[in-house]
Amino acid sequence: MIYIIDNDMMMAECIAGAVCSCFDEDKSEEIKFFQNAIEAMQEIAEADVSKIEMIFLDIMLDGPDGFTFLNELQSYSDTARIPVVIVTALKIKADLSDYGVVGILDKSTMQPDDIRALVSQYVLSVNSVSANKKINSKEQK
Amino acid sequence: MESEVNGILVAAHELEAPFNLLRQLAFSLDYADDKEDIKRVQSKMIDVSDRAIRQIQDLTKIGRLEDGLFEMEPVAVRAVCDDVVEELRYLFRFNHRDLKIEYRNRSRLVNANRDLLYSIIYNFCLNAVHYSDQEARSELVISDKNDKVRIDIRDYGPSLPIDVWRSLKKGWIEKPTSIAMRPGSSGLGLYIASKFSQYMNADVGAVRHRDGTSFFVELSPSRQASLF
Repeated sequence: MIYIIDNDMMMAECIAGAVCSCFDEDKSEEIKFFQNAIEAMQEIAEADVSKIEMIFLDIMLDGPDGFTFLNELQSYSDTARIPVVIVTALKIKADLSDYGVVGILDKSTMQPDDIRALVSQYVLSVNSVSANKKINSKEQK
Repeated sequence: MESEVNGILVAAHELEAPFNLLRQLAFSLDYADDKEDIKRVQSKMIDVSDRAIRQIQDLTKIGRLEDGLFEMEPVAVRAVCDDVVEELRYLFRFNHRDLKIEYRNRSRLVNANRDLLYSIIYNFCLNAVHYSDQEARSELVISDKNDKVRIDIRDYGPSLPIDVWRSLKKGWIEKPTSIAMRPGSSGLGLYIASKFSQYMNADVGAVRHRDGTSFFVELSPSRQASLF
């Protein structure tokens, strides 16, 4: 599952398009959109957190902003491990890796390849490692 | 001078958003599956461009207000609202929003400039798209209030910050300012609406609700209407 939190639905769909282009199979069913942090937190509270592979997060959201959301994620050990990519028009220079942020994309300069690189690094590579582990354990049996 | 520069910066920030989006939409054409998909992206691009152009045109109109180039005339207020709703129908549908329209006014004509009135209603409706909760229904109501015709646009989202509400209560906003609770907005739309209403001697304001905000503009009915 990949979550996209952005109050601009068109921008969210562009991000989703770039994410989907990383996969051979249709991944669109596994992408969820949220227009604010509250909706996303409610969903995460009810979801199987281990299935959330990555979150793309806008900062300027209605209600609680992206930083509040990051803080909330870090409050729980299971959600703290989810890699977060910030996608924003703000010029963020700070290092947010302590908040689980694996990348910061500037909306005015980012390209689909930037999104694809992060998905490859944090979703595809993790999936292939866990798939290899499964194959190895089957072979050992 | 400093506040003017801040105003320009905030406005520039808001105008940057549609261009960022256009850029991403152009990239997304790369992975469009078929002609239908390409058409869908193109219509989004046109929609985003139209809104950006309208915003820029509104800003240039502000600069021309002092020249008094905008003639006041009897304007059919329902027709203007219908046109705005028609133009924004796609955006409402795309964002899973709904707009309920209710016309209760007896006075059909108001004393206004059509273009400026259109922009005021357009900006208020745009606000309602952005700041209503998903699946929520915004409301556009035209009614008679005392000796005025009032157009209300009610959204169901975060309430308007008190300082912006106070500025609006005074009847105008001096400059676009960042609205913390409504972050996608620099208040540029409200600034434009307040400038245009000032020009037309109309009153613009907002009502804060627990679950959203109503923006309104009150206009004088056209005396010409009484001749019919």
